[in-house]
Amino acid sequence: MELLDLIDTVQSIADGVLFGATYAMLGIGFTLVFGVMHKINLAYAAASIGAAYASLLILAGVNAPAAVVFLLAALAGGVLGGIVYVVCFRFIPLANPLATLMSTVGLLLLIDEIIVHETQGVPLAYPALFSDVIVRVGPFGLRGDLMFVFALGCISMVVLLLLLYRTKLGLATRAVSQQPTAAQLCGISVDRVNGLTFVVTGVVGGVAGAMTGAAIGMLSPLLSLPLTVKGLIVTVIGGLGSIPGAIIAGLLVGGFENVFQFFRGVSERDLYVMLLLFAFLVFRPGGMFQPSSARD
Amino acid sequence: MDFYLGLAQIIGIHTLLGLSAYCVLLTGQVSLAQAGFFAIGAYVAAMLTVLAEWPLIAALLAAALIAGTVACAVGFPALRVKGLMLVVATIAFGEAVRLFFFNFDYQVTKGNIRVGPLGGEGFRQIRYFPEHGWSTLEVVLFVWTVVTLIMVALWWMDQSRAGAVLRAVGEDEVAAQSTGINITAVKVSAMTVGGVIAGAGGGIFAHYTTHIEHGQFGVVLATFAIAYPILGGLSNVFGTLLAVLFIQGFLIEGLRFLGDWRNLLFGALILLAMNIRPRGLLDAGAIAALRHLTYRKEATGA
Repeated sequence: MELLDLIDTVQSIADGVLFGATYAMLGIGFTLVFGVMHKINLAYAAASIGAAYASLLILAGVNAPAAVVFLLAALAGGVLGGIVYVVCFRFIPLANPLATLMSTVGLLLLIDEIIVHETQGVPLAYPALFSDVIVRVGPFGLRGDLMFVFALGCISMVVLLLLLYRTKLGLATRAVSQQPTAAQLCGISVDRVNGLTFVVTGVVGGVAGAMTGAAIGMLSPLLSLPLTVKGLIVTVIGGLGSIPGAIIAGLLVGGFENVFQFFRGVSERDLYVMLLLFAFLVFRPGGMFQPSSARD
Repeated sequence: MDFYLGLAQIIGIHTLLGLSAYCVLLTGQVSLAQAGFFAIGAYVAAMLTVLAEWPLIAALLAAALIAGTVACAVGFPALRVKGLMLVVATIAFGEAVRLFFFNFDYQVTKGNIRVGPLGGEGFRQIRYFPEHGWSTLEVVLFVWTVVTLIMVALWWMDQSRAGAVLRAVGEDEVAAQSTGINITAVKVSAMTVGGVIAGAGGGIFAHYTTHIEHGQFGVVLATFAIAYPILGGLSNVFGTLLAVLFIQGFLIEGLRFLGDWRNLLFGALILLAMNIRPRGLLDAGAIAALRHLTYRKEATGA
């Protein structure tokens, strides 16, 4: 009996960690925008879900394979990311943090309502890959669709890290995040880098939205607020502006919440995630990977 | 007519919610915990009038006091962090309060029915106003008396030294600290005052709707709370009132004839307002223009 409980616990942790890849991706999006602009983009999770929806609606009627849907979600995410930048950040003075906070909330509500308007509020089924595969490892079974989601998340994160550390755009992005004025003096257009960062995070978000849809099996506008909260929690636990932190915190939160869902039921699950966050805020307010140098 | 009286109550309650966020925003902190304090006030006041049969005013005072105490207790750890971290910490606090009430059962049998909060079902039968024969007009007058009292108190505070201290901390913490202001004390007191106002507002809200449940106090309500002062401008308390009138009166009720499109326009108009007037509808410039229009002599030493 004891052994069975242990197996179930480990199983639920494994499932949670696999699903945690979506949280990690959302956390990366928040962290990147924060790193470059020192702003929160509260519309991010909504735009990610919106991108997943867009891929479904554009391909409505066409019986496209799931891989095409995923690709289209990433593209739509990039376009939406650009729109978010223009609408919420480009024309609002950066010295006023409250204004961009509010404008992104406005966009969050707008995206949710556009989704409700287009779909009459009915959740849509989302295609998943390998949903009939279950890999057996000893007593444990790993769901194929979750494994796929996890692998997709890992690939996207590697691509993103390569983009940030091996390309000129990445160099410019990191320069702007360290010292915008100095970056500008070196001939980097801050506006352009900011905009491109939003497009890149948008692509990440689009993939995250598609991953959420594939892992849950459906899409609903009701997902965007909980995902926003989870993404922000992951960002804070990982350490603001830290990409490895966001990845590890995402997987941690995914495993943590699933094991509590297993023991305490779905209605109490998020309560423990909040407690985890409070524990971090009290004992380690900078998060797991505190950025070493103080930015100014 | 009843429709307008109901609308007047909603506007009053949301003004209280906005004012609670206004206090905290003055110190430069963005708190999304106001919905949590609002929920605590609502549940406490409703339990006191329904289960303990307290009179309304005593219940409201107790609710405000408890919400204020919680706000003070939350303020100390939460205000160690600022900016984005505080936003996330306060969202998490608000959600934790919501989830607590989602799992909170405390029912007693009264007459033939069971009353009290029941988890996801919420808390039904908060019938203080009909049981005590209050007419809708009396309720409206009561709500607006409370709103006026709190607005006058905040207006007076704004004009006094306390307001200057709050704004100093909001403008530049380091500069404020260097003039000998204890910024932690200032922030925690602003949070406490915000909690008291939100608690009172929540208590009135519970008796206005007669049925509260955890879903009403989510992140959306918290964003509404900070949306009012930000949209209205932080120059003075009337900005918040103006924004509540704009959102609840015009965007939500006034545009009802648009049906489904109203919700689309709602987000778009907030977006537009922030792009055109990033410092709020009633910002310092607008106030100066109003003063100019009325030819009122400006008081010295602004």
